[in-house]
Amino acid sequence: MIPFPYLKLLPEGAVFLTDSATLIVADVHLGKSAAFRARGLPVPEGDTARDLGRLLDLAKQNEASHLVIAGDLFHAPSGITPELEAALHRFLQQIEIPVTLVLGNHDLKLHKIIAELNPVPHLDLGEKFRVIHDPAGASGKRLHLSGHLHPVVKIPDGKRTSLRLRCFLFRNQTLILPAFGSFTGGAILSHFPDDRVFVSLRDQVVELPLELISLRKCH
Amino acid sequence: MPAASPQHFLDQKGWQPFPFQEETWNAYLAGKSGLLHAPTGLGKTLAVYLGPLAETTGSHCQILWLTPLRALAADTLRALREPLVVLAPGCEAEARTGDTPAALRARLRKKLPHTLVTTPESLSLMLTHADFSDKLTGLRCVIVDEWHELLGTKRGVQTELCLARLRAWFPNLRIWGLSATLGNLTEARHALLGNAFAGSVEVTADMKKPIIIETLIPREIDRFPWSGHIGTKLASQVVWEIDKANVTLLFTNTRSQTEIWFQELSALRPDWKDKLAVHHGSLERAERDFAENGLRDGSLKCVVATSSLDLGVDFAPVDQVIQVGSPKGIARLLQRAGRSGHQPGSVSRIICVPTNALELVEFAAARDAALARHVESRKPLRQPLDLLVQHLVTCAIGSPFLPDEMRREIQSTHAFEFLTDAEWQWALGFISDGGRALAAYPRYQKARLIDGRYGVDDKRLITQHRLSIGTISSDPAVSIKLASGRVLGTVEESFISRIKPGGALVFAGRKLRLVRFHQRTATVKVVAKSDKGQIAIWGGAKMPLSSELSHAVARRLKGIGPPSPEMEAVAPILAIQKKWSRLPDDNSLLIEYARSKAEEHLFLFPFAGRIVHEGLAALLAFRISRKTGEAIITTQNDYGFSLSAKRGLVLDEELLRCNLSSENLLNDLIACMNTAELARRQFREIARISGLILQMPPGQKDRSQRELQSSASLLYEVLHRYDSENLLLLQSEREIMERQLELTRLTTVIHRLESAPMYLIETENLTPMAFPLWADRLNATLSPGDAATRLESMLIALNQAAG
Repeated sequence: MIPFPYLKLLPEGAVFLTDSATLIVADVHLGKSAAFRARGLPVPEGDTARDLGRLLDLAKQNEASHLVIAGDLFHAPSGITPELEAALHRFLQQIEIPVTLVLGNHDLKLHKIIAELNPVPHLDLGEKFRVIHDPAGASGKRLHLSGHLHPVVKIPDGKRTSLRLRCFLFRNQTLILPAFGSFTGGAILSHFPDDRVFVSLRDQVVELPLELISLRKCH
Repeated sequence: MPAASPQHFLDQKGWQPFPFQEETWNAYLAGKSGLLHAPTGLGKTLAVYLGPLAETTGSHCQILWLTPLRALAADTLRALREPLVVLAPGCEAEARTGDTPAALRARLRKKLPHTLVTTPESLSLMLTHADFSDKLTGLRCVIVDEWHELLGTKRGVQTELCLARLRAWFPNLRIWGLSATLGNLTEARHALLGNAFAGSVEVTADMKKPIIIETLIPREIDRFPWSGHIGTKLASQVVWEIDKANVTLLFTNTRSQTEIWFQELSALRPDWKDKLAVHHGSLERAERDFAENGLRDGSLKCVVATSSLDLGVDFAPVDQVIQVGSPKGIARLLQRAGRSGHQPGSVSRIICVPTNALELVEFAAARDAALARHVESRKPLRQPLDLLVQHLVTCAIGSPFLPDEMRREIQSTHAFEFLTDAEWQWALGFISDGGRALAAYPRYQKARLIDGRYGVDDKRLITQHRLSIGTISSDPAVSIKLASGRVLGTVEESFISRIKPGGALVFAGRKLRLVRFHQRTATVKVVAKSDKGQIAIWGGAKMPLSSELSHAVARRLKGIGPPSPEMEAVAPILAIQKKWSRLPDDNSLLIEYARSKAEEHLFLFPFAGRIVHEGLAALLAFRISRKTGEAIITTQNDYGFSLSAKRGLVLDEELLRCNLSSENLLNDLIACMNTAELARRQFREIARISGLILQMPPGQKDRSQRELQSSASLLYEVLHRYDSENLLLLQSEREIMERQLELTRLTTVIHRLESAPMYLIETENLTPMAFPLWADRLNATLSPGDAATRLESMLIALNQAAG
């Protein structure tokens, strides 16, 4: 589908590089609900444990040998509770593979990031791929794997309703991943003619014909 | 200084009091609360104001005047100050609303005036100030203006809660409401007064002011659309009527229609360029002021308006009202008619302009009911817990409260009189530490329990909460601005985001082109009149026909009622309906069956309003397709609904009765209406009121605030997953059932249909009643499935179209 061999889009909203068994996700936003509660907004806890659990399962299922987070693993300093730190610690023990955190704008607000996460501003994976949080920072010939935008596609059904789905967006040599975190919103992006959009449909990822997305613009 | 009696003011003016005014003063002076039911423009302001004014002692705050619209505050002040200077010289009246300038607001923070005019939101906000009760010491009376507008809304409940607080502070407080005609005035009074209802009075001033309701009859009825089409075919006749009168108020049902009619009138009469204006709620204050001042001094010929001008102080020069399209309800027709004819001895006159043939019947029916004053009821809301938690935080900020005391206060309102223990405990948990669901809310703390009292001391939380008060019904609004910087008004974000830069739109009576849309501002430029191209026009919600008006329409179709030009005009069409099928009514059920090229169609006419028909259509389609497996397309309007399918629609009474039965109604409705999805959408308002979504202060770009942004649907999912017992989720479902499905009305209708005779008729051609339903199938709804199924079917459809 994407003109790069060894690259698989997973329906869970992750990318898997088959040659190096590298699993890549973006925008997990751990501790987001805790940050809300810290400011007096009664949002229930659950997202952190669940998202770490999903990530662990995904790594095991795919027999990944390296996990890369394309930025915004954390949401905000106020969301870093002792419970979150403990959960993250357990996660890092259980996953048993190296983890690299490519720093995102939210991560940069944290006072410190533990060494086990191997924080880096960007990460080159061989000659072909570069992981960088903000697609605006993309340059050079490599295929960039990014996050930051939380892309969502809105598909009007021509009636009164529309579907709103998290999506992968391939644009200008950059593949933007959907946000992985379960308590993350999304932004409906305006589309350009050369864009390619991929969504999860049951247990696979399919490319959306652009006609479906732009239905509403040509009535 | 004891003030002079009400009579003193009238003597000075040389006026005679109306009996209802004296009745109101006497009841007030006897210590009673009550509701005054009076049409606009009959001296109702004086009736409720002069009593408390006569008791004036000193210049401290004694009277609170609540108004539903802050736009009314200025006019109200003007009306109140006139008797104030005569009866209580040296005392002041001021308004405190969202529009109040900061300087005046600061002055009012120090000392409140004798009479304070305010809105429910501003009153709620003032409750968060610790010294508010001290400043109100000596408060004697609260007057709630236009109570019928607040009744049945969340702002109405906010008013009830605020009044309960004031009653707790000042047990002898007298509360008076002003209301237009309603079908349930006693219930309205109960909702206003809560447990102070006993011993209160109702005063009626309906002096049956003469009202003339006329209809513009189209010249060529057979060329006139049967239904559905909303056009400006009769514009030239309308222009002629406007020309004949002095000042006309032209009402339409939606804001988009105001813009369309304004364009049409301007095109037909370029010489009226400076004598036409447009008025709707989204326009900037200056634009609205222009229209209102023009009505007040009579310098305008015509103002095109929506319900934004339904309320308020009267414009004496207006001598004619024109209503375009069905008013959908009788109360609204009366209210609008009442906006004209305020000169002594004149009558209220309204001309109805049909936009399709069947509306002629609606106008005749509305007149029957209006003259008999058979108007709609407005049901007060019960148990909106989002407002309860908002109000509890408000009170905790103002002064820490004892839970038992507060519960008694809350239950003294009509809205919460049946509050259960479980709901109360949940609400306390929600505003403090998460309550019983504590495990799900680690480290959450809003109100703190200190010495048995709930209070909020975190400054940031207090500011946050104050911002969230007063945003009960605002959708994200985008300002429309000219490049010069002049702001024209606001539209919903969802509307403006559909228009691409360079796209055309009509707003505030101008043709505009979108230059750019950034953050919360859309910059536009005015384009030449001749500029063509697709024009985006945004509309308001479509109102369903009220039960009362549907009933009146059914009577007219049965031939009951005096002869009328409307019925005469529409007679040829009704004759066709009768010849090919029969005329539907509301004590039997007419079902037509017809066959088109590829499909079968069923048309049912229960006369229950569009929303109920939507629910009934979905229900019937769901039950039939469960057996046949065929996809069924449904459409609906105010008179009936249709089902279309390739096969499997049978005109069989027993089968239809079985599918329309009330058995298992709720479960089937939940299954077929995609209530989960609807509830998710409804949750937006609830999340905003209950403080789950932060309100951003206008213009402020606080980065730490941005971290706390979340969408309502995401919150709905999170609550569903991790705290499914959260009562706000249940409330969302309940609201969706009542507001979007009108469940109570739907249930009544289903029970009626179960015992009503059925007339099953197979027709050769589509009848005049059926045609509009058939023609509407382009906007039809297919029964929805989950996201994956819907996406799959769209992909398949696309492939088929391509192949």
